[in-house]
Amino acid sequence: MSLVSKHTILEIGNIVFKYSGHMPLIRNLSFSVSEGEFIGLLGPNGSGKSTLLKLAGGILKPSEGRVRLWGKDLQSVPNKDRAKLLCYLPQLLDIGVPFRVKEIVSMGFYPYDILPKMSVDEALDMVGLRDKAESYITHLSGGERRRAFIAMTLLQGAGLLLLDEPLANLDIKYQLEIFRLLRYLRKEKNISIIMALHDINIALQFEKVILMKDGDILCFGSPEDVLTTSLLREAFDVNIEISKQESGEAYISYGHDI
Amino acid sequence: MSKVKISILVLSCLCIFFFSLFLTPSVMNPFTLNTLDRDILVSIRLPRLLVAALMGIALGASGAVLQGLLKNPLADPYILGISSGASLSAAMGLVSGIYLFGQFSIPFTAFAGAAVASLMVGAFGWKGGRLLPERLLLAGVGMSFLFYAALMLLISISTHEGMRRAVLWIFGDLSMADWSLIPWGVLFIVAGLGISLSRARALNALMLGDELAHSLGFSVHRERLLLFTSIALMTSASVSLGGTIGFIGLLMPHIVRFMLGSDNRILIPVSALCGGAFLCIADTVGKSVLSPVEIPSGIVTAIIGSPYFLYLLRKKDVLGQ
Repeated sequence: MSLVSKHTILEIGNIVFKYSGHMPLIRNLSFSVSEGEFIGLLGPNGSGKSTLLKLAGGILKPSEGRVRLWGKDLQSVPNKDRAKLLCYLPQLLDIGVPFRVKEIVSMGFYPYDILPKMSVDEALDMVGLRDKAESYITHLSGGERRRAFIAMTLLQGAGLLLLDEPLANLDIKYQLEIFRLLRYLRKEKNISIIMALHDINIALQFEKVILMKDGDILCFGSPEDVLTTSLLREAFDVNIEISKQESGEAYISYGHDI
Repeated sequence: MSKVKISILVLSCLCIFFFSLFLTPSVMNPFTLNTLDRDILVSIRLPRLLVAALMGIALGASGAVLQGLLKNPLADPYILGISSGASLSAAMGLVSGIYLFGQFSIPFTAFAGAAVASLMVGAFGWKGGRLLPERLLLAGVGMSFLFYAALMLLISISTHEGMRRAVLWIFGDLSMADWSLIPWGVLFIVAGLGISLSRARALNALMLGDELAHSLGFSVHRERLLLFTSIALMTSASVSLGGTIGFIGLLMPHIVRFMLGSDNRILIPVSALCGGAFLCIADTVGKSVLSPVEIPSGIVTAIIGSPYFLYLLRKKDVLGQ
């Protein structure tokens, strides 16, 4: 299913990012994201996926170029307004503080002076954590913890979610659970999602994929166009074959490299 | 449930304030006070109660803020070297024999020392245009050792008769409490408490990590600087009022967190209130148990607080892990 893209919500224009005195981590990179798009961000370790998400979220400031959010320069958008438009979830959600799940979720209200329409219970219902509302976040499994933070983003009401490897360190059951949840939210709430990941099989399920290498975009487009043997070899330096099942569904195999 | 618990805590604290004021060391009936009783109440008991309450409020609140800011459950307001800076400054003032501000000399020099120590620790904790919690903590520990070493050197070589007073004051001495410092204490502590309460949401977000706090719409470095300022104001005022009283800043936030959770919007004010009540109890015990000899309140807080803290730790992990 493809959504009709009406509005460009994020524009990354010729951005470069480097720490002072170091080689650039992001090199003259450009792309845009439209309303309701579900984009997988793929690339080897150190290719710049996390840095790109942090630049898109305003956590890092580009050394050159600009990031525009709903047509406005991201750096000029006030903090509270930015928080209502986009939400960034880091890879590590190892919160050592004994907050209860409902306390974490209710922090999604913080950018607002007037409470939004959705309640904490409704958000917890959507992620299937209603029965864990009173539990400490420190007592939850990795997958449940992810879902609790996704519930927080629902209250935050942002139209763009930037997720840094939300499937990392989760077993296959929780990976699928989180992926289904994100796809459901994108469909129900028309939220745009950019999500860094490592699993090429899951990347095949996205509407669009960005393949990165050495701080630049190697290819951006549909999974069929991006996840090809030659591009994957160029990005990851291994032989990966894309095959198709009888149903037409694509899957990967590692050929002679395993 | 939380509202019931908070109501019970507030009521208990008010009872403690009443008990400390009217029932110890001798019982006074608030409805049949004679002139002498009224004089004792207004000139001695009430200022002492207020100083104890203000110090406890400042320590309880700043302990809660600091533990959140550093994401370290072992943090205590004194870990930043503010109290040791104040102690050194006050001792130097006593030894120099210069009493520029009359009866205000010790508290003034203590406050000046606390303010300078806060600025120095803040400067060492500052890098790349921002305040870094790890640097702040290490700078505080380093400065604290340096100030204490200088203080011990001063105490060991000095023969000044005021040094005994300085040592007593270092361990928390409320016996000299009077009305003169209370307005200043109120001013700084209310300012610090106001900042920390208005930034309680930001502190909650900061406890999730800088990136999540930013994502929730907070300017991480600005919020951290404001919270550090609130701690510096409250701790400096507390040390100036009656010296260094340990354990409240460490203990109270843990006890309140155990009962009411980690939300700083509740944790900070309730830790403040319980800190105030706890120091009133400690002061009452300190002046009653071995009467007429007074035990410094800092010693009493540790003797009462430590076993209860260990009991909590044993019964149910106060860190919620």
